[in-house]
Amino acid sequence: MNTGKYIAIISKSIFVVFTLIPVALGFGYAFLYSFGILGILNDGFTLAHWKKVLFTPTLWESLGFSFYIALISLTIAIVFALIIAIYLKQKLQKGFLSIAIYLPLVFPALVMAFFSFLLLSKSGWLSRVSIRLGFINELEQFPNWINDNYGIGIIFTSILLITPFFIILYTNLYHHEKLDNYKELSQSLGASPINTLRKVLIPILLRKSIFTIVLFFIFVMSSYEVPLLLGKQHPQMISVFTVDKLQRFNLLDIPQAYAISCLYGLLVLGTMALFLVKHSKIKLK
Amino acid sequence: MLKKTITFLFFLVVLSSCKKEVKNTIDVTHLNWEEVIVNGSNKTVTLMMWQGDQFINNYVKNYIAPAVKEKYNITLNVVNGQGNVIVQTLLAEIQAGKSNSNLDLLWINGETFYQLRQINALFGPFTAQLPNSLYVDYENPFIGKDFQKPTEGYEMPWGNVQMTLIYDSKKVEKPPKTREEFLTFVKEHPGKFTFDNHFTGLTFLKALLIDIAGGQEVLSGAFNEAKYNQYSKELWDYVKELKPYLWKKGETFPEAVATMHQLFANGELWFTMSNNDAEVDNKISEGLFSEDARAYVPNFGTIQNSHYMGIPKLSSKKEAAMLVANFMISPEAQLKKMDPMVWGDGTVLSMKKLNAGLRAKFKNLPSRKYAPKRTIIQQYALQEIAPEYMIRLAEDFRQNIILN
Amino acid sequence: MIKKGLTYLFTIGLFFPLFFLFIFSIGRNWQFPAIFPKKNTLDNWSIILKGNSELNTSLTISLLLSSLVAITITLLSFITSKYIAQSKHRSFLILLCYLPYVLAPVILGVLLQFYFIYTDLAGTFAGVFLAQLIITYPFGIIIFNNFWTPLVFELEKLTFTLGANTNQTFKEVLFPLSRKVLALCFFQVFLISWFEYGLSNLIGIGNVKTLTLRVFQYINEANIFYAALASCLLIIPPGILIWINKRFLFKAETIV
Repeated sequence: MNTGKYIAIISKSIFVVFTLIPVALGFGYAFLYSFGILGILNDGFTLAHWKKVLFTPTLWESLGFSFYIALISLTIAIVFALIIAIYLKQKLQKGFLSIAIYLPLVFPALVMAFFSFLLLSKSGWLSRVSIRLGFINELEQFPNWINDNYGIGIIFTSILLITPFFIILYTNLYHHEKLDNYKELSQSLGASPINTLRKVLIPILLRKSIFTIVLFFIFVMSSYEVPLLLGKQHPQMISVFTVDKLQRFNLLDIPQAYAISCLYGLLVLGTMALFLVKHSKIKLK
Repeated sequence: MLKKTITFLFFLVVLSSCKKEVKNTIDVTHLNWEEVIVNGSNKTVTLMMWQGDQFINNYVKNYIAPAVKEKYNITLNVVNGQGNVIVQTLLAEIQAGKSNSNLDLLWINGETFYQLRQINALFGPFTAQLPNSLYVDYENPFIGKDFQKPTEGYEMPWGNVQMTLIYDSKKVEKPPKTREEFLTFVKEHPGKFTFDNHFTGLTFLKALLIDIAGGQEVLSGAFNEAKYNQYSKELWDYVKELKPYLWKKGETFPEAVATMHQLFANGELWFTMSNNDAEVDNKISEGLFSEDARAYVPNFGTIQNSHYMGIPKLSSKKEAAMLVANFMISPEAQLKKMDPMVWGDGTVLSMKKLNAGLRAKFKNLPSRKYAPKRTIIQQYALQEIAPEYMIRLAEDFRQNIILN
Repeated sequence: MIKKGLTYLFTIGLFFPLFFLFIFSIGRNWQFPAIFPKKNTLDNWSIILKGNSELNTSLTISLLLSSLVAITITLLSFITSKYIAQSKHRSFLILLCYLPYVLAPVILGVLLQFYFIYTDLAGTFAGVFLAQLIITYPFGIIIFNNFWTPLVFELEKLTFTLGANTNQTFKEVLFPLSRKVLALCFFQVFLISWFEYGLSNLIGIGNVKTLTLRVFQYINEANIFYAALASCLLIIPPGILIWINKRFLFKAETIV
């Protein structure tokens, strides 16, 4: 039992070393920099950078846009994943498909974005196929899906990237949580298949995956490579917006980039903390 | 737990501000060349450069690296990184109080040079010590000045290029050559022209700004706020007039020149542009552009500029870096680099200063096929304007065009 | 009928991107409105593979780095996640695990670069290794978090009661129970490490030349054919990993 105690202490230290310290150091650095305390181009404490950041509408637009992209992408991805996982569950549990489903996981974001670009741009593959099939006559008639106002290219790519994760997750959950038993129970109690799906299966799957959903929500909201290639310059997703301030031509913008990083970190953390408090209450009930 | 972490953080910050800059014991700027050779040989030099081009990479890897290995037993370690990565790395090193940089040689120009000087990260003046510096055409303002700033020996000219516009000669019979013709052209062919939201696009905007101002002389010298306000207003009016007829109605711009090249290669755009006048030939031989692609320079001219080699102040291998830089501007290395089959980069050497044999060799280099000769576009060459113009243009482009 | 249609559609969807990229990797000259590139040639492949004898070295570095990171994280997070799961502040600690994902790796890299340079870890293999541990460790904890259910703890307790020591409990009970999660964690972390670019480039100062570092250059370049080829190069090794690991991944446990 003594070794157990040692392991416990070591474990907690490792946790602190790998999560708390880097994050605290990183944000601490950003925080001090954004107030002008650090940084060789800063002249000491100032609120100017924060003021500039907080009172620019583009920051809030950028946050809103990121939220919108994450919300739409995740909703569609989860719907697809539920449909596929429930309808194809036997095929996904053994045989060819159960391995093939892992294939999309080996696509990094940038490669997927590049694929979407080749597929969906006005001069892309789908546009050419449409011309060949006679749906459209020239390139201009093809809808605007890349660098567009609604972030369609970004949403499409995000869906491609995250749906496979959710399919695997739901297939495993279905099996793991023995949902077939629930299904039988519910149907033997007289529920229709649709009602079983709506009232039993889907709620269980969603509730069990809530943490993963939140994690992926953050992933999508903070994504960088995909909106960089497929997005517009306005509104920009939050990471692109930050890196623009960080790495563009004006070195004096760097403190603003750090202020945005801190602000975004705090916002997400705050929201998540609220969510967790609420979620643990639900659990207790 | 949290308390400890915060304490640790502050400890680090305090420590970093206390750490004193360790001064190099030898003042390298006072060494003679024999001493530089002695101190610099048998070392490893880390060169940070943009590695986005096959031709350039091969030239450095298969020509420069073996040569310096043979001459001085210097191992050239090439790492990938552009302007902002260089600035960020050196900035972090200075802030961390390092005495020993991870980088020894940097491929830079214009705004990076300006930023590095801003943070005092460059070593110098060193260029006068290099023997091959004698051949460099410093009198040429396109080489001796970088964005209107005298290089003051803090960077060594390496190559010289001029911006060109590239068009598809099958679709565009007569490429537009003046501001008015551009306006007419895009109105007749909406959606086929644009410029990127980065370095290349800004360089194009600079050429327009110079044209609006009425010529090179007006904007030369240090940044002038009044002039900038006056002419940039006209520039934005002009761009706003173009905007509805640009690609995607000017609501967005390609994020980088690479994307613009792709759109051009796919036929979505009829134009692209390049800061390297030899690029069209390279891209055709790579099979990206069709053989109908041609480069040209409009009548209002395009920016010609040079790219340079700099040495970080904190490098501990300055002498070795100087040896490499010196070889890079040797006539043989410059000759090789200028061959369109190798890279096609313009030389920074003055033909007058070379002997007749070498001059003939430069003259007899095979010429490129799809871009006009250097001597022809030279008459339309514009000098870079002060870096502040670019910083302001980038900000105002966002304010006036993208956010509108 | 619908099920069959859906299966076919889905299967095609899974393979289409890879197939598509491969077609482009052997292409040249893709003028509108041709559906596929005019020329098909293996030249692109031979140019890139020949011109880059270092690709092999990079492949080795990448495999070594990613395997090392994946093994370390799988072990570390498996052992330590247990104590996080038992902690009174479990939710709060898990919350902290999400923090690194709030920022894009590029931004995190910039924030941490100062410290890596300060400690002379920048530009070294060890530095990149450490940086990757920092971003993958919380992910490992999240993966294992839901493995530690009350049931598992009870089983563990039961084994102790039956007289087993820590070692035996681990070997005989916990390990067999968690084999699938372990495989999943290894695979996921391997992938994150394999694809990591922004942070590794910044912390490694370009010195630790992983395959991803080399390949991303092509993707960021103008040449779509080289980019497609580079994408294939990136995708194939983990693809093989899936194939080899199919037995482990087969019915892998949840990632909740």
